[in-house]
Amino acid sequence: MATVSLKHIVKVYPNDGKKKKKKPVNNLKVTEEGVLAVQDFNLEIKDKEFIVLVGPSGCGKSTTLRMVAGLEEITRGELLIDGKKVNDVAPKDRDIAMVFQSYALYPHKTVRQNMEFPLKLRGASKEEMRKKVDEAAEILGITEYLERKPKALSGGQRQRVAIGRAIVREPKVLLMDEPLSNLDAKLRNQMRAEIIKLRQRIDTTFIYVTHDQTEAMTLGDRIVIMKDGVIQQIGTPQEVYDNPANMFVAGFIGVPQMNFYDGKLIKNGQGQYAVALEGAEIVLSDEKQANLRKQNVEEQDVTIGVRPEHIELGKEEGKTIHGTVDVSEMMGSSIHLHMNACGKDGIIILQTLNMEPQDFPQIGQDIQFTFSGNVVHVFDKTTQKNLEF
Amino acid sequence: MTKKKKSWLPSGLLTFICIWWIFPILVVLFNSFKKKTWINQQPFTLPDAKTFTGLSNYLTVIHKYHFVSAVGWTVFITVISVVVILICTSMCAWYITRVNNRITRAIYVLCVFSMVVPFQMVMFTLSLVANQLGLVTPWGIIIIYLGFGAGLAVFMFCGFVKSIPIEIEEAAMIDGCTPLQTFFEIVLPIMKPTYISVGILETMWIWNDFLLPYLVLDIKKYKTISIMIQYMKGSYGRVDMGAIMAALIMAVIPVIVFYLSCQKYIIKGVAAGAVKG
Repeated sequence: MATVSLKHIVKVYPNDGKKKKKKPVNNLKVTEEGVLAVQDFNLEIKDKEFIVLVGPSGCGKSTTLRMVAGLEEITRGELLIDGKKVNDVAPKDRDIAMVFQSYALYPHKTVRQNMEFPLKLRGASKEEMRKKVDEAAEILGITEYLERKPKALSGGQRQRVAIGRAIVREPKVLLMDEPLSNLDAKLRNQMRAEIIKLRQRIDTTFIYVTHDQTEAMTLGDRIVIMKDGVIQQIGTPQEVYDNPANMFVAGFIGVPQMNFYDGKLIKNGQGQYAVALEGAEIVLSDEKQANLRKQNVEEQDVTIGVRPEHIELGKEEGKTIHGTVDVSEMMGSSIHLHMNACGKDGIIILQTLNMEPQDFPQIGQDIQFTFSGNVVHVFDKTTQKNLEF
Repeated sequence: MTKKKKSWLPSGLLTFICIWWIFPILVVLFNSFKKKTWINQQPFTLPDAKTFTGLSNYLTVIHKYHFVSAVGWTVFITVISVVVILICTSMCAWYITRVNNRITRAIYVLCVFSMVVPFQMVMFTLSLVANQLGLVTPWGIIIIYLGFGAGLAVFMFCGFVKSIPIEIEEAAMIDGCTPLQTFFEIVLPIMKPTYISVGILETMWIWNDFLLPYLVLDIKKYKTISIMIQYMKGSYGRVDMGAIMAALIMAVIPVIVFYLSCQKYIIKGVAAGAVKG
């Protein structure tokens, strides 16, 4: 239970003294000082909040988490836990616990010894250790494995033990570094639900790192989306889904990812903002009109973003766009149509509930689709920023 | 037919090599039960009623040649040296692997290089320096053994430490371990297979070593088993071959037992070092 403040945090990996600078992974910024892994990271985490850092590999999310844990030195900026600056405090004195992707269980100790270990180091009595370990084991459903060694456990059980070792000493902040990445899809869904339940049972602040946007959306109170060491957007799952700050966030959040088309933002005869795409003209919703007016946005070439689930088939001329079906994937409750429209590949999700099988679009078929003005996003072609904000 | 021939040939060849290899040890064993006058006349025959002398050769070694004292010093030097080598080199290897900078890389290269330098190349200067530094006691020779044993041990430990996920040590740090606690509570138990294999290799080397203690130790005061056997050759070339054979057998038995009981760890440890190193 604690607040965590990250103020202007910067992490630089210095050049290793060789004359030739190494080309960094991804598009990380390189200065004379070295590779900028995290740039000006600012975040206020409230007490008992569940924050998820999400982004592709090499975006700096794990580095940020490791700086909070004290496993990486902070190059610049301030890290405060409960208002106390902890930049130079050793990991063991920060009152945090961490769950690693690879579990990081002590292979020579039994499950009970693994879970008792942090308590033992803090001088807890045998009775206290036994009581707390039994309680945590009960919560995580690993009571029957307490006397086993980690190698005799499955991946899911090992991850539970790792979580148990972390929660047993009731840390102020619980850090999780891609804890579900090593599990198969089914077990991952199951463990995700377990973490949600766990979160309700233990009162602590969570910082969770993942590259999986589904985990981020389902677990986080707020999501921090990162790219190349820079925060792209911070917000609740609904906020980042509904109002992505830029094309990266729009593409990263949501499965399948958002479709992007080159179009125009125009003002029609009534002075209303509309998007023009291959002859179709779709007037934006009142809320979007207001946002664009507030930003004084002019008519211009834009990138139009629409989520696959917001696209529907239609026939009304002047409001629909033509496309050709490349691939049709039957998912049971829906069909994912991979199609080519406006010279770009995209996806449409069609719900099969009210459709007859003979109406399902076939491969090679020409289709007409449309979307409403409240679900369309307009992005600046150069900066890729959402023009509404 | 062809298949059968192929499988028979290597087995036969290896059996022959094994017998060839073990034959000298068997000769020593059989002769240790013979009367000394018969050893020169019939060295390659089994003891019979005429030549068999029971355990008298063994008793001679124990009573006449201060075998117990030699065993004591050998055990002392071997055990302490191996323990010191294991603790110091494993910590050194852990540091070298985890703190990767120019200095640690240089230390690693030096350690590996020390394996290449033959002992005979440095033995005279070494014995001189050891004498000047007062390392002519069993306690002093332990330091020299540490230096000579460090190369192989650091090489093998480094290979193993690289295979330990760093997250385990980070988890220990977050759980509240100091670096020393991390080493002794977490790293050391994980390195057990390499500890055993390095321990066996170093034990066999130090237990059987003749040249270094012979050059360094104050022979009048401290005799290891190998030195004691050398001194069993009396003046004017008089040699009690029976006693020497018995002493040799008594000297090798502990090492053979030790090796056989731990040989599976040697292969495990050496393989870990070779692959990961």
